[in-house]
Amino acid sequence: MADQAVSRPASSFRLPSLSALGPLLALILLVALGAFLNDNFLSQGNITNVLARSAFIGMIAVGMTFVITSGGLDLSVGSMAAFIAGVMILAMNALLPSMGVGVPLILAGMGVALAVGLAAGLANGLLVTRAGIEPFIVTLGTMGIFRSLVTWLADGGTISLDFAVRQLYRPVYYSGLFGIAWPILVFALVAIAGQVAMRHTRFGRYCEAIGSNDKVARYSAVSVEGVRLATYVLLGLLVGLATIMYVPRLGSASGSTGMLWELEAIAAVIIGGTALKGGYGRVWGTVVGVLILSLIDNILNLADLVSPYLNGAIQGVIIVLAVVLQRGKKSSA
Amino acid sequence: MTAAPVLELRDVRKSFGPIEILHGIDFALHPGEVHALIGENGAGKSTIMKILGGFLEPTSGQVLLDGRPAPYASGAEAEAAGVVVIHQEFNLAPDLTVTENIWLGRELGRVFLDHKAMRAGTQALLDQLDTHISPEARIADLPVSDRQMVEIAKALSRKARVLIMDEPSAVLTQREVEILFRQIDRLREQGVALLYTSHRLEEVTRLADRITVLRDGAVVRRALRGELTEDGMATAMVGRDLQDIYPERRHSMGEVALEVRGFHVPPLVHDVSFTLRRGEVLGISGLVGSGRTELAEGLVGLRPATGDVRRNGVAVHIRSVRDAAHHGMAYLTEDRKERGLLLDKTLRENLTLSTLPRFGTPFISDAREETALTEAIGEFDIRAPRRDMKVGNLSGGNQQKLLLAKTLLPDPEIVIIDEPTRGIDVGTKSQIYAFINELASEGRSVIVISSDMPEILGLSDRVLVMRQGRLAGELEGERISETNVVRLVMGTSEGANGEAAHG
Amino acid sequence: MERRTFLATTAAAVAAAGLATPALAQGKKAVIGVSIPSATHGFMGGLNWHAQETIKRLKATYPNLDFVLATAGAVGKQVNDIEDMMATRNIDALVVLPFESEPLTSPVKAVKDAGKWVTVVDRGLSQEGIEDLYVAGDNTAFGRVAGEYFKANLKSGAKIVVLRGIPTTLDNERVDAFRKAIDGSGIEILDMQHGNWNRDKAFSVMQDYLSKHKKIDAVWAADDDMAIGVLEAISQSGRQKEMWVVGGAGMKEIVKRIMDKDPQLPVDVTYPPALISTALEITALRFVSDTPVYGRFIIGSTLITPANAAQFYFPNSPF
Repeated sequence: MADQAVSRPASSFRLPSLSALGPLLALILLVALGAFLNDNFLSQGNITNVLARSAFIGMIAVGMTFVITSGGLDLSVGSMAAFIAGVMILAMNALLPSMGVGVPLILAGMGVALAVGLAAGLANGLLVTRAGIEPFIVTLGTMGIFRSLVTWLADGGTISLDFAVRQLYRPVYYSGLFGIAWPILVFALVAIAGQVAMRHTRFGRYCEAIGSNDKVARYSAVSVEGVRLATYVLLGLLVGLATIMYVPRLGSASGSTGMLWELEAIAAVIIGGTALKGGYGRVWGTVVGVLILSLIDNILNLADLVSPYLNGAIQGVIIVLAVVLQRGKKSSA
Repeated sequence: MTAAPVLELRDVRKSFGPIEILHGIDFALHPGEVHALIGENGAGKSTIMKILGGFLEPTSGQVLLDGRPAPYASGAEAEAAGVVVIHQEFNLAPDLTVTENIWLGRELGRVFLDHKAMRAGTQALLDQLDTHISPEARIADLPVSDRQMVEIAKALSRKARVLIMDEPSAVLTQREVEILFRQIDRLREQGVALLYTSHRLEEVTRLADRITVLRDGAVVRRALRGELTEDGMATAMVGRDLQDIYPERRHSMGEVALEVRGFHVPPLVHDVSFTLRRGEVLGISGLVGSGRTELAEGLVGLRPATGDVRRNGVAVHIRSVRDAAHHGMAYLTEDRKERGLLLDKTLRENLTLSTLPRFGTPFISDAREETALTEAIGEFDIRAPRRDMKVGNLSGGNQQKLLLAKTLLPDPEIVIIDEPTRGIDVGTKSQIYAFINELASEGRSVIVISSDMPEILGLSDRVLVMRQGRLAGELEGERISETNVVRLVMGTSEGANGEAAHG
Repeated sequence: MERRTFLATTAAAVAAAGLATPALAQGKKAVIGVSIPSATHGFMGGLNWHAQETIKRLKATYPNLDFVLATAGAVGKQVNDIEDMMATRNIDALVVLPFESEPLTSPVKAVKDAGKWVTVVDRGLSQEGIEDLYVAGDNTAFGRVAGEYFKANLKSGAKIVVLRGIPTTLDNERVDAFRKAIDGSGIEILDMQHGNWNRDKAFSVMQDYLSKHKKIDAVWAADDDMAIGVLEAISQSGRQKEMWVVGGAGMKEIVKRIMDKDPQLPVDVTYPPALISTALEITALRFVSDTPVYGRFIIGSTLITPANAAQFYFPNSPF
């Protein structure tokens, strides 16, 4: 009878199940395919390009992982990025006469980006938690609001950063440390911190508990609303951080900036194995998902595989396959 | 003497993966008979019912309906063949009304729904069950016991030849159980074959014409009415002699740990006052819906409430579970699947959820959590095939023990336990009673809320009875008896008000 | 004012016969409905700005004219806008830039059938003869002018890459004309991918072109927004000296750089968003004078060079 009770602790390291490795497998296959199709695929230049491009969506998707894990959703991140970029550029242009071109001006711009991101995330979070409106509806609404605001700020055109400021700011996207571009470094840090937070802190555990069953969480002394609010604020801040890395790339923002980023971020989260209905989050999976999405684009550009008209279809097929690889086993179990 | 069986299992085996959980079961249901199937949790009762009801296929062996292989392969087809199952996990759509649920899948009316006829039909069924549930009520708005009645009404409407009931009385009050029994008697007279399961052995004695006792996936005892005492049933189920399942009380009560005055939990609970001493087990009895759970949830900050609450003589304001924990109070919910445990998470994550800050800041220490789990598994005798399994795959009894371990992890001084043994087998029950007793003898205060009369009588040093949101009376010592409690519960006690005044 | 001169040089007006009758009784205001796509990218942003500016100016000039402007983000929304204008604003004329030709044809025809004046801008309807007035840019010329420049300035065997827009008929017309123009020149098109008239997308497509192709002599970016992304990708790779870029439309930043003789941006091809102004002005004339205004106005595409760039530079426009 007593031998039925397992009394020895499970080893702290367990191999992930085959299904968890699905997205990783898809990523490896894509890399092999890319290398096979084009010699330059594995060149340092191309890898840097792909990783740096992934960085914006990547940071946002890490934040999105927490929101989705706790049972929420945020459709507004793409528009939010455009709005933050617009406000950040306008603020830097406005401060230019008083502050002059210099590092303090750049830092002020970064501060503005983070502050606006925090405020936007707080707005989403409060509407969801305090007003009790469905996250889908709240963020669908704010998506439209942020998008219109940036179009309005830009007068329907493009908001451009002052040329001299841009020259100073440019290296934040284009240069790096030890040959690794800044966006890649920052993305890596965000991803690692996200993974640790999800697996090894109370915040991550609470997100999973709330997504799994918010009533149980409430009965277990978890501040359900507080944690939910925190996920939206965190996501807002990460959108701000992504924008800080994005603006120096082209130095501009317009109504089309960040178009469909929300869907890419959500797709990356789901491809990575986080449950769309919440309750289970996997940050490293999200990173893999983001890389899969940008690699598909990259490979389609590098190899003339199919008519460019069909690029969307190829992407769709790979996204669905990645998810099938991961869930295929479940239905039979 | 008995008619040929309607529904029969012959040498049925069932395996999940490599593990065989039913070992050659022979089992038959006869028309006009109530056949009780009893056994501890995990003995295989649910699997047998699922096979009978068409929800599972046996790995080998035969299911015979009227002597021929059963012509159904799903629950819906079984229902069409007259075999209806009343599930313990309700099969009701929570967002639909009572009427809509009862007629689900066989709505009346050709092109447009005939709402009037369906409503009238529903009302007739509900009247038969002597319940005042509105046919228009949404299932989600109904308390658990009403949902059970709707489930029963739905089964009655199916004109079943075979009715399989999986612990229908578990969530019902005494009065509702009586109504249920009358319906069962009526159906038996009409020649329906009934299968009844319950952990309440006195119900089995009252109802069953035939008893089959199951242990570890095999039949260990068959008996006809009158051949088996309740004690005999319990012994057969557990496979060993059971001493009295209630521990001997030897509590030494200390000073007042909690004092509640004029406590209101809108909209149901009004003006409740009581005290709780250290080392005391205080039972709270009353019908489901009398405000017992609401009172408890109000006390631990899960519902907005007003009134004076003093801990060790000091006034406290508790607005959240966290506040309650801070004042050494913990609440174990009656709804372990929806409010108590995260069914899709592991034992470890469940155990530590409400006490995570103790396991490291900012990073949770896996090692400390594992140690806590090892201790809990040992201390509460939680039997899990694997430590990293999902809690939803544990048996009800082990879930309850885990929930108890989780609730006690913060080391509370006051523990409120709502329905400590709902849907749990006899063996586990007696373990849980022992834990409760031990808590009191350690000097903690325990409040036990229960619909199970013997439980209240067997555990409590003092009993509060609630009726319609108010305290109907208080019983202590010699005065704690079934008759006294039932009188207070039903409001028939002449001295009911007087009791409250004396108390 | 500058815009007028530019229109004068480029617009070829084919006036149809017929008497124009002033549509208005004295004292009543004529309402002109304007339905255009919303400002989702640079060109449309410019077009929106020009539309608003022109409406402001015309209102001030002609007090008996009123305008209803609606911008739509999708085809369905545009159809609804037009129906609402008919139902609730009682418009006398409709100036419409159809989101897509096919779905807008019958709603616009309904307006015409109700006896209203219809001006169609830039994208034709799928049925002939509905509109009273048609004002459009010339997509074939847009591709041809760019192609001719490539043919004249590159040697045989030169390698180029192309960024296409969003897959549409308009994009096909431009690309076909471009191909036809460079036909026989020996110029090799290495790659042609969609950049969706978007800076970010064009940036990544160009990055990938640069990884893939060791030698590129020139880029036809076909749109100034895309040209900005392309230039950024080129400077990241440090290959600025290797190739030049031709965009399209006439964005002020690009025109400025041509004025400043940027070797990376030798020329640009116009496709002026101001064509909406032309359409509005001509439609307004219909209601304030007896000028016959029926017909087709095709605004050609011209090559902006350092020599003529100044005439195409509107520093106040957002585009």
